[in-house]
Amino acid sequence: MKQKNGFKMLDTGVTYVLLIAVAFIFFFPCLWIILASLSKSGSIYSFDGFFPRSYSLATFKKLFTDTTMYNYPKWFLNTLMVATGSCILGTFLTILTAYTMSRFEFKARKPMMKITMVLGMFPSFMGMTAVYLLMTQFGLINHLWGLILIYAAGAPMGYLTQKGFFDTIPKAIDEAAKIDGATNLQIFTKINLPLAKPMIVYTALTSFTWPWSDFILPKLLLKEKNLYTVAVGLMSLDETEFARFAAGSVFIALPIVVLYFCLVRNMVNGIAAGAVKG
Amino acid sequence: MKQTVQTFMKTATVPVKMSLLLMGAGHFRYGSISKGLLYLFVELSMIYYLVQRGFNDIRGFFTLGTQRADAWAGIEGDNSVVMMLMGIFAFIVIAVFAFFYVQNIKGAYAMQKRAENNLPQKTLRQDLADLLDQKFYVLVLALPLIGVCVFNVLPIIFMILIAFTNYGGNIVPPELVDWVGVDNFRKLMVLSKFGPTFLKILGWNLLWALLSTTINYFAGLGLALLLNKECVKGKAIWRAFPILAYAIPGFITLLAFKFMFSYGGPINQMIISNGGTPFGFLGIDAKWSARLIGLLVNCWISVPSIMLLATGHLSNRDMSLYEAAKIDGAGRFAQFRKLTVPFMLFATMPVLLGQFIGNFNNFGIFYFLRGGMYMDGYFLASDTDLLINWLYNLSIDNNYYCIGAAISLVIFLITSVISLTVYVKSPSYREEDTFQ
Repeated sequence: MKQKNGFKMLDTGVTYVLLIAVAFIFFFPCLWIILASLSKSGSIYSFDGFFPRSYSLATFKKLFTDTTMYNYPKWFLNTLMVATGSCILGTFLTILTAYTMSRFEFKARKPMMKITMVLGMFPSFMGMTAVYLLMTQFGLINHLWGLILIYAAGAPMGYLTQKGFFDTIPKAIDEAAKIDGATNLQIFTKINLPLAKPMIVYTALTSFTWPWSDFILPKLLLKEKNLYTVAVGLMSLDETEFARFAAGSVFIALPIVVLYFCLVRNMVNGIAAGAVKG
Repeated sequence: MKQTVQTFMKTATVPVKMSLLLMGAGHFRYGSISKGLLYLFVELSMIYYLVQRGFNDIRGFFTLGTQRADAWAGIEGDNSVVMMLMGIFAFIVIAVFAFFYVQNIKGAYAMQKRAENNLPQKTLRQDLADLLDQKFYVLVLALPLIGVCVFNVLPIIFMILIAFTNYGGNIVPPELVDWVGVDNFRKLMVLSKFGPTFLKILGWNLLWALLSTTINYFAGLGLALLLNKECVKGKAIWRAFPILAYAIPGFITLLAFKFMFSYGGPINQMIISNGGTPFGFLGIDAKWSARLIGLLVNCWISVPSIMLLATGHLSNRDMSLYEAAKIDGAGRFAQFRKLTVPFMLFATMPVLLGQFIGNFNNFGIFYFLRGGMYMDGYFLASDTDLLINWLYNLSIDNNYYCIGAAISLVIFLITSVISLTVYVKSPSYREEDTFQ
């Protein structure tokens, strides 16, 4: 019995050592970036190992005032506009698609589901060259609207998670409403939409964070420095501007981190349905 | 099908048959003037489109241009790429028209039947009202469908076709592009400047996908089990650290790690202050250290999501099985191997598959850690690049569009074969309607 107790103590000890190690591994890089954003000098070469020699808030101030070379406030507004625009449009289209695919029986349903599955297997930016050519034809290069259009148009492709959710809402409710004389439009807006609130939140969150942190499309379609999104802008910073990079990162990561912590439960359902972060 | 056509030919009245030539004729006969006018308008605009540019676009699709631009002679040549794009567009227009054409005949025939049975005809207004009710899905799906077709399907079709041309390199407009059949795929397979690079990268890509998926999966599962232990107090706090890592946008993490391992970065500074020489972890000679760092960084990014997922599934386990195993004298490792792993593999199969595909096409990792490096022995790539990075280097940075498109098709082939074999067998696909 005594031996067993000792083993249990040892087990608990090892568990906590491991937990502390894991916490350190995940937290240390974040701490490093946060501290770097508070450093007085900007270059990574002036650091003492991992940490800056002296601290101040000057970098944050510089980030928003010194805009001749790196116009961070403008980048931030661009990102905000693109992300908000594609969030609203994308969520709208995705929810509509998912709902129809879940509730209506029509001839093209199964083929459409299969086609979207096949389309999803093409490498994500395989069509980039073609998209670029299309955008030149439409005259949408160097326009934030072009980006929003592409993100929103692509959003319904990921309707499967949302469809799975609508599948779980019992159809009996719909049928009851139909007997009471509701049209399909009314059934959607008055019954299913309110029930799907958690899913709408999840959809909005994912379709907001995707443009928020994407870099391939903006890099391809936005050639002017003033139109950069934050992701593209931060990529153009080198080691001598490390503190600026860190400050910019902290500022853009913060809203997302807060959102994630608030909505972590919704996120889990999303991952369970097979979303991959990349 | 044949039967329907035969009965149609026998029973349809003349105006309905006229609809075959003059769309809307049947509708006029049975009193639906507005719908008839609409169909007539569709037909007229189709003819207008075909005469105006449709025929030329389709011919252009096959020839891809015959007139080279000549600035001296003032000849504005054919732009092969735009011609191809417009050709695809013409085919789409024809397909849409065919849909309306069939609808027109079906509609006219249905009206004839209604008239013969003395049923009232549907008016345009009723049809519109139907869009909000019976045919709600048509109304709703129209917008997403157009978007997906223009920005997903059209580009993909375009790139598939590009894989069979010689577009790219020196051959970009104003030069004329030609169809070359499977030449590009042959170039990837045999000894040319592309072949050896392709095989080397493909090998590493498969190894990477396998290694990173396995490591991430078991690390995530292990972490979930660790957090799930009874002796752990304050689970929410411990869990917050991985979630923090999960919430940070990927490109920030990757850029931060790049700075961390760079020549002037903190790790090298520590090496120097301890009297060592700085080491280029991600430098041009650092094959395996860069690959290892890639694996670890990918782990840092992906483990939290797998942990969250595994936590959810772990609580669904049937604990009585574990009790029984304990009574039978199974050790903890035996329980893990015989109970936990099989259960989790079963429950998370689709996600595991998604992870594998995601890792196979993981563009970000090496793009940020070592982006834009070209090495000897590789054609426009480095020894850590995956196929998707090479595809980017070739088609977006260096204009080798046709080879890039061919590589996309190879990637598609590999991923789709793997996923179809696994996916079709998985219960979540076969029992799609379980919850309804």
